[in-house]
Amino acid sequence: MDEITSVFIQESREQLAEMEAGLLRLEQNPDDHDNINGIFRAAHTIKGGSGVIECHFIEAFTHRVENLLDALRNNELAVSPPLATLLLECCDHMVSLIDVLAAEGEAPDADLGAKGDALTERLKGFLDGIGQPAEASANSELAVQDSTVEVESSGGGIVLTDSWHISVRFGENVLRGGMDPLSFIRYLASLGEILGIQTITDAMPVAAEMDPESCYIGFEIQLQTRSSKADIERVFDFVREDCDLRILPPNSKLSEYIKHIQELPEDTMRLGEILVRCGALTQAEVDQGLSEQKSSVEHAQPGDPTAASQLGQILVDHKVVHKEIVDAAVVKQAQVNDKKAKDARLVRVQADKLDQLIDLVGELVIAGASANLLAQKSKQVDLVEATSVLSRLVENIRDSALQLRMVQIGDTFTRFNRVVRDVSKELGKEIDLVISGAETELDKTVVEKIGDPLMHLVRNSLDHGIEPTALRLERGKPACGRVALNAYHDSGSIVIEISDDGGGLNKEKITAKALERGIIQAGETLSETEVVNLIFEPGFSTVDKVSNLSGRGVGMDVVRRNIQALRGAVDVASVEGEGTTFTIRLPLTLAIIDGFLVGVDKAAYVIPLDTVVECIELKNLPSDRNFMNLRGEALPFIRLRELFEIPGDAPPRESIVVVQFAGQRAGIVVDQLMGEFQTVIKPLGAMFRHLRGIGGSTILGSGEVALILDVAALVQTVTHSEQQLLPGRSHAAPAALSSNQFTQH
Amino acid sequence: MGQIVQARGSAVVATSDTAPAQYLTFTLGGEMFGVGILNVKEIIEFGNLTEIPMMPAFIRGVINLRGAVVPVIDLAARFGGKTTTVGRRTCIVIIEVPEEDTRHDIGIIVDAVSEVLEIPASEIEPPPSFGARIRADFIHGMGKVAGKFVILLDITKVLSVEEIAMLTGSDAGATDALPAPGSI
Repeated sequence: MDEITSVFIQESREQLAEMEAGLLRLEQNPDDHDNINGIFRAAHTIKGGSGVIECHFIEAFTHRVENLLDALRNNELAVSPPLATLLLECCDHMVSLIDVLAAEGEAPDADLGAKGDALTERLKGFLDGIGQPAEASANSELAVQDSTVEVESSGGGIVLTDSWHISVRFGENVLRGGMDPLSFIRYLASLGEILGIQTITDAMPVAAEMDPESCYIGFEIQLQTRSSKADIERVFDFVREDCDLRILPPNSKLSEYIKHIQELPEDTMRLGEILVRCGALTQAEVDQGLSEQKSSVEHAQPGDPTAASQLGQILVDHKVVHKEIVDAAVVKQAQVNDKKAKDARLVRVQADKLDQLIDLVGELVIAGASANLLAQKSKQVDLVEATSVLSRLVENIRDSALQLRMVQIGDTFTRFNRVVRDVSKELGKEIDLVISGAETELDKTVVEKIGDPLMHLVRNSLDHGIEPTALRLERGKPACGRVALNAYHDSGSIVIEISDDGGGLNKEKITAKALERGIIQAGETLSETEVVNLIFEPGFSTVDKVSNLSGRGVGMDVVRRNIQALRGAVDVASVEGEGTTFTIRLPLTLAIIDGFLVGVDKAAYVIPLDTVVECIELKNLPSDRNFMNLRGEALPFIRLRELFEIPGDAPPRESIVVVQFAGQRAGIVVDQLMGEFQTVIKPLGAMFRHLRGIGGSTILGSGEVALILDVAALVQTVTHSEQQLLPGRSHAAPAALSSNQFTQH
Repeated sequence: MGQIVQARGSAVVATSDTAPAQYLTFTLGGEMFGVGILNVKEIIEFGNLTEIPMMPAFIRGVINLRGAVVPVIDLAARFGGKTTTVGRRTCIVIIEVPEEDTRHDIGIIVDAVSEVLEIPASEIEPPPSFGARIRADFIHGMGKVAGKFVILLDITKVLSVEEIAMLTGSDAGATDALPAPGSI
């Protein structure tokens, strides 16, 4: 695939996303003109681009959509729910068409083609529904205004002010410079449609004086395009120095045309004629304009600059030029410029180039650590100084490099507006999506992979969480349900919450189902949290009816597995009758973290620094229980030496690293503390994907491999195994039984 | 399963009829084994191994191979025997294992590396259906060298990441039931 096509595909996808967002806003706020313009611009850009790369099936379909949008833009059509739905469907169809192009298909297959035809028919239905306001009010004064409406829908031959007027006079040296004027015209045609073109040969001298190597011609061109003025100017970049280029934007005031005519070297009347011929103005307008001009010139001094502006005023008064159209044109120009300026601040970089950079920075960190180690061994103060400066810089580079790959989660969240809209329509429920924390940043690789699990959870909330409207009213809740997406940072991880104010999870039903499916055994008693988390077990679904949204019972365990594959965790909390909250906890980055290096026997382990609260000496233990008194708080701890079955006796002085995650505290007992360490995460690979408690590995300055502890998983594993170990545990009286258990020893 | 493996094995033999393949031979518990030389990336001295806790015995740990973390498998333990005791000539052979579209580097511990042998396909016998004390699908064939058999390993089976991950998975389940540290 050539570069232009791939750029087109990428940009079109962005435009379509913008268009979709715009359409969703349109439903909420049908009168927002800027929004409609934005949608139109997106469609138009795609149409223009598809024309350039000669992808006609996209161009043709987009053109039809654009027609409808244009009618919308000109207030010929009112926004209605069926219209919005149709436009959203068209938007989807365009996405499919882009996919076809991306797959290097020649044309859409039969199914897609049929779908496109059906959509076209419906589009036509809406367009035919538009009356003929132009005919109804076709009096001369309003001709200019109505003509803008007519341009797209009929392509008609009345006044075409909705197009650019370009006057170009090529300089004498153009041909000598190796430029062919014709090629510029051809290239111009790629920006849009050339409605009319007139060749100006007035500069041509008599044959005797003519130099065949000089260029004497010029063109008056009427171009219909949504490109900006800058784009049009860019067409003539190569001859910018050597030509006289004048561009009049669409909907220019008649006075500007007149001024334009007068500025050009050729005879005024003749130019007027030419403009009429190439469709810029009607004869009536030219006559009117010129005569008005003449009369005002009679009053004013010749060459008085105010003459033109007076004329403009006159014309506006005469309603030849509609005030709003002029304003709209100005606003549109400004918007285009804004967008350009914003684009200029962004640089598009291939994702794999970034990944490569991060890899290199990772190697740099490791190499830096080893240089540091050697410097310290050498005991040369200067060297130690130099390497510590170096490692500080490396740390900064690492942070900025990682920052490059951070993206806001907002885009992922806003995608769900559409999902919520469609699904709630399908289910006949009224549901609002509330998004917060959209600016929370996380690694691009994580964002890409979190989309599917999120989709599942949101759909689940919509389908099973929110009750039908009638039931909601009965329960005294507002008719409109609420699904909220929230994201925030919490000690080195990102937390994403999906909550709804629906019926909550029915614990009896879950227990019954789990018994029926053999997930739990009769007589097994579980805590509330454990019960609700049963929904993540394979083959679990409580809804009897299988809807096409969710409920096939494959969802939740897949969600959990996907999230675990990202070194994350998912939990659910639910209050019956009040709602359910899913909490996804993910690591912030998959590449480099700040670590805290600890040692047990000869092995070194890294604890993510974000989770470390403090380090204390392990002493004065009251008993051999694995908890200690930390300023009045009972802090449970894990002995790494025992958990990892490391042979050898513990040294007399052990330390305890207090870690915190998800509001929970725990201690990790280690032999020695070795300080902070920049940790480049090296994944352990597919072979170790079932390993819980170890998040990955890293390479120390000495070249040894150290393991990175996944604190949350570690504590979970220990908790789980300890609970399994204590028989006869009951939730009816857990305190009594476990204390009983303790006394037996 | 067995049939499929057989069919694949013979297909490999058939294609290599024309060009005699080269095998790196090594000893393991007194026996001679061979792996296709094309799979072998390098041979390094045994050392600097980081053990991974809560793993089955045949996964000895990981090493740092010029910046990449490479798992090291104890072949003897993988075949169901005892773990290899590290001696003076113990080596780690780094093997590239193709798995679907990706390739994994995996190290194997061997007692000693012998030599690279050229064994023509005609000198390779199909594995015995039993008696080798090694899972039949692990064996690509029995190479005859100077009247002795060399067990030629099917490295994609022996070092199947998928299978090893599954084994560690069940083991991880088992560690769940392990006594919690310092528990009562």
